[in-house]
Parts: sequence; C-alpha cells; structure tokens
Amino acid sequence: MLLRPGADDFRIVGLSVGRVLLGVSAAMVAPAVLGFALGEVNEAWGFVVGASLTGLFGQGLVLLCRTRATLTATHGLVSVAAAWLLAAWFGAVPLLLSGHYGGFLDAYFEAMSGFATIGQTLAQDLDHMARSVNLWRHLMQFMGGQGIIIIALTIFSSVGGAIGSLYLGEGREEKILPSVVSTARFIWKVALTYAVVGIAVLWAALLQAGLGPGLGLYHAFALFMAAFDTGGFAVQSTSVAFYRSVGVEVALWPVMLAGGFSFALHYQLWQGRGRELVANLESRVLAVTAGFVLAMMLSGLIAAGAFADASALLRHALFHVISAHTTTGLATVPGAVYVSAWGVLAPASIVLAMALGGMAGSTAGGIKALRVGLIVKGIRKDLRATLLPDSAVVVETYHLGSQRVLSGRKVTAAGTVLLLWVLLYAAGALLGLVYGYDLETALFDSVAAASSGGLSVGLVRPDMEVALKVVFIAQMLLGRLEFIAVFALLGYLVAILRGRT
Amino acid sequence: MSARPARGVGRLRVAAAAALLLAVLAAVAGLAEALRHPRTIEPVPEPAAVEDPREEVVCDDVPQPRSGEPIVVDSGVLLDCPGRYDGRLVAYEGEVVGAVLERDDGSWVQLNDDPYAGELGPLPTHRQFRGGNAGIGVHLPPAVAGQIASVGAHDHRGDVLAVVGVYHQSDPRSGEVAIIRATGGEVVAAGAPIDHPPLEDRRLVGGLLAAAALGLLLAGRLRARR
Repeated sequence: MLLRPGADDFRIVGLSVGRVLLGVSAAMVAPAVLGFALGEVNEAWGFVVGASLTGLFGQGLVLLCRTRATLTATHGLVSVAAAWLLAAWFGAVPLLLSGHYGGFLDAYFEAMSGFATIGQTLAQDLDHMARSVNLWRHLMQFMGGQGIIIIALTIFSSVGGAIGSLYLGEGREEKILPSVVSTARFIWKVALTYAVVGIAVLWAALLQAGLGPGLGLYHAFALFMAAFDTGGFAVQSTSVAFYRSVGVEVALWPVMLAGGFSFALHYQLWQGRGRELVANLESRVLAVTAGFVLAMMLSGLIAAGAFADASALLRHALFHVISAHTTTGLATVPGAVYVSAWGVLAPASIVLAMALGGMAGSTAGGIKALRVGLIVKGIRKDLRATLLPDSAVVVETYHLGSQRVLSGRKVTAAGTVLLLWVLLYAAGALLGLVYGYDLETALFDSVAAASSGGLSVGLVRPDMEVALKVVFIAQMLLGRLEFIAVFALLGYLVAILRGRT
Repeated sequence: MSARPARGVGRLRVAAAAALLLAVLAAVAGLAEALRHPRTIEPVPEPAAVEDPREEVVCDDVPQPRSGEPIVVDSGVLLDCPGRYDGRLVAYEGEVVGAVLERDDGSWVQLNDDPYAGELGPLPTHRQFRGGNAGIGVHLPPAVAGQIASVGAHDHRGDVLAVVGVYHQSDPRSGEVAIIRATGGEVVAAGAPIDHPPLEDRRLVGGLLAAAALGLLLAGRLRARR
C-alpha cells in the first residue's frame, strides 16, 4: 500500500536540502571575494545577492524543518534530486546577474550543466566574462562532481532493497568505507592530493605555453576542476584549443582519467594494490572500449584526410577519446570542425565514447564500464550454457575489488539501466529531429547532455528552442543522478497525490 | 517512507506548501531579472554570432584573387569549409581575446570576428545578446605580436588585428587545427578599458539581503544553543 508522506518525511527532506543550500551559499563567497579583489564589483554584488538568497532559503528550511527523525535511503534519494534542482536554481542567480545569459532559463541551464558536470554552455560572449563568474561556473562543477561521488558511495550504496534491484547493476551495494564520514574524508583526501599535484603540473604547463603567473594559476585551477570532475567548462570559448599547447593537453590526460576512475578503484590503488588496475572488470572494459573507440576515430580521421601528419592525428584523437570516454568534454579543436572536416566515423566514435562513459562511482556519466562488462559477461554465460551439456553448471566470475560470482539479477539490472540510458539519449535526439536538426547533430548533442559528455556540434547555443533547453536540462538531471533519485522524487509526488494516510 | 505511525500530511497542506515554494522560487528568479544590467543602447536586431546548424553550409569554390593577393575570409567559412581554404593565403580580421601566448618562434592569439569584436563591441558594454563567440587561432610573428597593447577580457576591449597569412586545416609545424600562420599584420583598431558603472540598486538589495541572511543564520545558531 502506498503511504502518503508524513510531516517528518517532509521535514527531513527539507532539512537535508536546506543544509546543501547553505553549502552552496557558502561556496558563492569565494567568487564574491575574487570579484571584489579584481574590481569586478557589479559581479561581486551579484554573488552577494545570490549567496544571501540561497542562505536565506537554506537556513529558512533548516529552521522550519527541524526534526529528530532518521534519514532513510528513500529520504536521501528524494533529498538528492530536490537539492540538485534547487542548487541549480539558486546557482543561476549570479550567472544571470553577470549579464552573459539571455534569461533565467539560460542561466538555469548553465547552472545545471555545471552542477551535473556536463560542460555544455549557453554563455554569451564568454571571452569577455568576469573571472569571478567564470570561477563560479567551475566551482559548480567541482561541487557537483565531488557531491555525486559522496552520494554514490553513501546514499546510493545504502539503498539496497529499499529501491529494488536497479542499482545492483552498478555494484553500488558495496561500500568502500564503513561510514559516510570516513568515505567523505577519503574522497576529499584523494581530491585534494590530485588538486595539489594537478594544479601544479597544469600551472607549469600553462607558464610554458605563455600565460603569465597570475593568469596561469587561475587557468590551472579552472582546468583542474573542469578535468578532474569531468565537467568540461572552459575559461575561454575555444576550450583547450586556446592554449595551443601539447604540454597542457598531456597534463590534462591523467587528470581526466583520474576523474573517470571509480573511487573504489582509487581506494584500492591508494592501499598499494596496483594489481587491481589490471584485474578490475571496469578498467579492463574501459581499456577495450577506449582502444576500440580510438581505432574507430583514427580510421575515420584518416579516411576524412583531417590531418597531414601522424603525430597531430594521434595527439587530437587521443585527447578526444579520453575527454569523451571520461565524459569530460574539453576539446582541442572547434566544434564546427567535427562536422566540416572529421567525416562521419570520427564524430560517431565521440558519440559512442560519451554514451559508454567512465566507471561507476566516479564523476563520469554515461552507461558506465561496469554495466557494459556485466552485460558482456552475462551474454558469455548464456552462450556457454547453450553450448555445454544440460547438466553443466555454468559459473561466470568477475573481479571488482575481490572475485565475485555473476548473478542473473545483476545482469538484468544492468540491462534495465542500459535500456533507460538508450531511451534518455533518444529523447533529446528525437526532439531535435522534430525541430529540424539532422540526426547526427541531434544525437551528438543529446548524448553529450545526458551522458555529461559536454562536447557539442552546435545544437546547444543560446538561441536553441526553449523546449529543447528544458528537455536537455531534464536529461542532465536524469543522467547525472542516474534516474533513481529522480524516480524517487517522482514516486514521492505520486505518494502525495495517491497515497493513503 | 519512514516507518512511523504518524499520519500523512493532508493534500491541502501539501498543495499550499508547494504553492508557497513555487512562489518563493519565482520571486527569486524575478528579483534576479530585476537586478540585471540595464541595456545601454536600444536593441538592434542582428543575427547571432554562432550559426544555426540547420542552415545548409555551401562550400563554394574559393574566390581566385590576383596572384599574390590574399582571399578575404571570416571564421565562419574557415571552420565550415576548412578543406577549401587549406594552404591558401588569406586576410582575416579579429579582436585579440584572452591572452597573447608568447613562444620562441612567435605568439599564438585567438582573434574573434563575432559581433562583439565589431562595431557593437563586447557584451559588457551594451548587453545586446548575439550568441556565443566565434574566431580563429592565429600564429603571429614577433613583430606583429609586439604591436598588441590591449587583450580582450571583462575589463578590456582587445585590439582588432588585421592579419595576412596561410590558413591550415591542420598546421604541419604545430599540429594545431584550423589556424592561420600569419606572415604580416597590424592593429587596425586599438582596444580600450571597459567602463563598468556601479549598479546601485544591486548594491542596496545585496546589502539588505546579506544583512537578513546573516541575521537568520545568527538566529538559527542562538536557537540551536538554547
């Protein structure tokens, strides 16, 4: 029997959302300070307005929703979906006040793209945007990226039977550390270590590329947040192509890869278990799919005659495979070139890489390597069962931290989520077709929005249709939260309308 | 739902709370809209900087200028038809944005030729929306790069540079994509600092809201202590 939520259910969700919004409010202080320091006074006041409104709303919720009730998994999921929707709403305020967005919908799209670590932008004249506002765009990615990891490893992992088997396919029933606090601490330890090393290396590469020390540090900071959290926003409109530097691109490779790796794998490596990298099902699947996508892209680029020499071909192909497969979305060439000079196969390989995505429990989006691996293993198990005598007992195993036996339930769950992903990719593409875009353009940008890939061939632009903006925002949210949290929120609404007291 | 004996909240109460929530969110968006930068000039209908991908791109034959003369181009044709202009001598004009990246053999710059680089000027000077940016990467010889005094950013309009050079779909020397390797050029319009008049209403509202937010936070702390 469906029960209507009680007052305590609403209070605990409100309290959780309020606390998240207080965090968002506090984060706006950093760009405000930078704005005042750099003389971007109007923008800085925009952050004061944004931080105050967010703080008022967040603190209001905290005060109104005080409760001693315990947070359950369902509360957690509903809170996550509500917090993402509201964080983007309040995060849009300073963006709108920057004067670089056509309206609130555009600013909301940008904020959702930031918090969901997508990287698609509706910013107008980005090259004249204030540094404080650009910092906020990147900070949203950092918060969204780190936030989703904590959620994936704590709330999602505790869902289990409360939500059903949907998430068994992701292997999220396995906690890497015993508590939320210890998990969060580990995540921040890893992130800060990567940040210190990554920013230092990127800064050196940017100085080598010709940027001054101050501007170089700013770009290094922004690039790190965009790459490690597989976000894809960039300081300049030309993304990484702006730097015209192999050194910067090479420095970004490991940062993007680290973002696409699961924190469970980071934990194993952190413990000195280097063999895990070779044995892990996800890293194996990623190696195979990345190799396949790279071969596909190289074939396409060679066929299209896009590059005169092999080193340039390999350089740009490798960067795009890493960027698309980890769903980062940084680019070394203008988006128009994908259509005009890269033929059909190379852009198709980018779409495939974005659709597949990175590892489960990472900041990357997409279908995820674990699900692909489980489905392939499931098919292999069925094939073996068909070929072997009826009396044979077929057991398929896989390695994920430890050796595990593949169950039919996990394969089914992975297949179900795979189907949801395909439907999500198709939804934006179909609407794009309705509006007269060709299939390649509509599919490319739809997959980029849903998978958090973030690359674009031009459909996502400020004057795109309102309905497409709304659908892309929904795709970003569903893709980022991998359906389950949004389904839980919708389930709550149904329970309100149809549940019994 | 939590395992509790408490009764569910009535639909009317939920509807009232939802209406209040939506009203607050609408008020937040409305306030943000009201505090936006005022437009400093009357709206001028002009096409957006970035093309609609539904428009068919026709790569006509490249015009044949007199021997040794460059072909006058914009970033649109160079990005839409890179193969047609590959290896051709071109003349291109655009605003220097971001930074001048000095290297041993010259400097790399991004030259934007979108509406913000033209007569209209950067977005912060007028708030007329013309879409995203458009431009081309250009490698400049040291003599040309040395002329640049102003780089386009939030607080500066960049110098507009007219360059002549060879366009490469893929530069054989650097491996860069869709760039011009300039042999000559000059600043045709000097950049200038951008004035940002203070928005008094935003300061006032920001100050009041900040005081209210801090007050509420303090009230929360006091209540928690009690």
